[in-house]
Amino acid sequence: MRPGVRVEGVGLLTGWGEGVAALPAEARAAAAGRAVIPLPRPALGGERFRRATRECLLGVTAVEAMLRDAGLDREAVRGERTALVFVTAAAYAASNAEFVLAGAASPAATEAGPVPNRRGSAGTLHFPYTAPSALPAEVAIEFGLTGAYVILIGGAAATVDAFWQAGGLLAAGRCERALVLAVETFEECEALWRRARWRLPGPLVEAAACALLGAGDGRPAYRARAAETALEHAAETRAGRTLSCGPLVGLALARAAGEGTVRLSGSWRGRTAAIELAIAGAAGRP
Amino acid sequence: MTSGAPPLRPEPIAILAGGVATPIGLDLDAFWSGLLAGADGLSSIERFATGDLRVGRGGEIKKLPPVALGIRSRAVALLVAAAADLRARGRLGAAAERIAVVVGTALGGVEELEQAVGDDATAHRALDALYDSPAHALAAWLDVRGPTLTVSTACASGAAALGVGADLLRDDAADLVVAGGYDVLCRFVMRGFDALRALTRERVRPFDRRRSGLLLGEAAGLVLMARERDVRGARLGRLLGHGSASDASHVAAPDPQGRGLEAAVRAALDAAGVAAADLDFVSAHGTATPLNDRIEASVLRRVLGARADGVPVNSIKGSVGHTMGAAAALEAIMCLLAARDGLIPPTVGHEEADPDCALDCVAGACRPAWPRLMLSTSLGFGGCNAALVLEGG
Repeated sequence: MRPGVRVEGVGLLTGWGEGVAALPAEARAAAAGRAVIPLPRPALGGERFRRATRECLLGVTAVEAMLRDAGLDREAVRGERTALVFVTAAAYAASNAEFVLAGAASPAATEAGPVPNRRGSAGTLHFPYTAPSALPAEVAIEFGLTGAYVILIGGAAATVDAFWQAGGLLAAGRCERALVLAVETFEECEALWRRARWRLPGPLVEAAACALLGAGDGRPAYRARAAETALEHAAETRAGRTLSCGPLVGLALARAAGEGTVRLSGSWRGRTAAIELAIAGAAGRP
Repeated sequence: MTSGAPPLRPEPIAILAGGVATPIGLDLDAFWSGLLAGADGLSSIERFATGDLRVGRGGEIKKLPPVALGIRSRAVALLVAAAADLRARGRLGAAAERIAVVVGTALGGVEELEQAVGDDATAHRALDALYDSPAHALAAWLDVRGPTLTVSTACASGAAALGVGADLLRDDAADLVVAGGYDVLCRFVMRGFDALRALTRERVRPFDRRRSGLLLGEAAGLVLMARERDVRGARLGRLLGHGSASDASHVAAPDPQGRGLEAAVRAALDAAGVAAADLDFVSAHGTATPLNDRIEASVLRRVLGARADGVPVNSIKGSVGHTMGAAAALEAIMCLLAARDGLIPPTVGHEEADPDCALDCVAGACRPAWPRLMLSTSLGFGGCNAALVLEGG
């Protein structure tokens, strides 16, 4: 296999802090029994983000972190030649639960809540923010991204699929750069996820991560069904369960280690997908 | 799997069969005859309370087919109903590991989330609330084990799902793909659209001078797709190209100039290798909201250029309501059936042309025509735009 796209930057925020340096050696031990390791609401204010949810702001902040890592300014990604591929397993759940509880007449609707107001302003959640598309919409608006647009729902395997989609768009000449963005939040629905802990064992670590891809020499080598890589295991050991952000944690680890190429895998609901990418600026860069 | 392969081949993707569950028919034949007859599937909602809402009507499926009875999740029930119809019309003739499922949804398992934060505290219900759960349930019901993907570009999800499915085939990640979309009519979405004042108390009137809003509907629409070169027998038609674009202008409202939709349409035409001048028919998103229809009409006039007055356009949302994630899949199927039978269904509810929506809107009765190359457009919350270019036969 040879890499068909090039990674130009990676931004990583987790409940442990920013970047791979903030990751503990062993997330489970560092969690010390906590089921969820949350990320704080980013301090982005003003009228522009009046209605935005915490997860929307995390998406914006992850893209900013990626641009810093790539050494680029916002103009480098603005416009129709940059594609945005967003993936999440559960980042919409908090806004959905908030909207449900706001309209619930039943006193039984208490176990998962009350969900606090997660925006900077008072008032009820604006319904369009319950859609998974609200988060990438805020990112697209903030950075002026008007290119191809794909939103996938799922865990780490879906993120590998997102890299494959981005690689296809690049290889087909449909864009010059592509952002793969993943965001996961768990805090507001912790009670809900605790019920499903046999399928989602902790610690669940909130994360927002973004990779900037540029065209390489063809399509990336992609396997819709593959074996789990050591890097996937390492990413989960270091960061904990970040669901869709897992492959981006792995990518950040590989970039920090100076790898020239990386084989990412991601597993979710019994499927492992894998893809191979080149990392720009790393030792052994092709 | 692809290993250092050349760029995506512009290979057409065969659509072998379709299957649906809709408010006007629980299988493809009933759906199609209902569209041709101008059936109105919009009615008072009976499945949940709407007394506190401004509008309590929608495209509700009153009775599920036997195959879907007893399924805990209504989203899964709709998908299973459509899949049973699909399986009766097209054979899943490939290894289970080589059959993929790609479905689009705006709402996923949100009704399950309502129950999970309400009085159903089971672990199963919590997992059902994840938006990708229905797709995995569908794959299990079909007993297929290829990639299972969920796309959620709001009300453009169905189109995006067909596009992603085509990409899986072109990239040899699957030999067959079951692709489409679904969404359920539930209190969550009714409350949301009601609060936005997007629902009409009148008739749904796409592109009509008196249009005053949309009504929601529930449905599932699925197609069976394969690489054209692998198909020996009959097919419904072909997906030639797809495109998407972000508005980057507003979380809820479309771009005032429709720039994202126009970019998506031009991308789909480019991918298909089809000139706008060669289009024979447009299946519009046509929600019947004042803003959407005016913007969409202006985009279609720009794209179609001098032929804008002569290319028939319709919207089926007056028949089935806005079925959100299912809409584009149903509309793609409608296009292919129109090409098969030489009849374009009418735009139910359209009676008085709006000068601001100057299109050749098929109205009143179905129109005899033999469209070959067709465009389907979709828009959704979050500035999501998608377009499909289809070919009949």
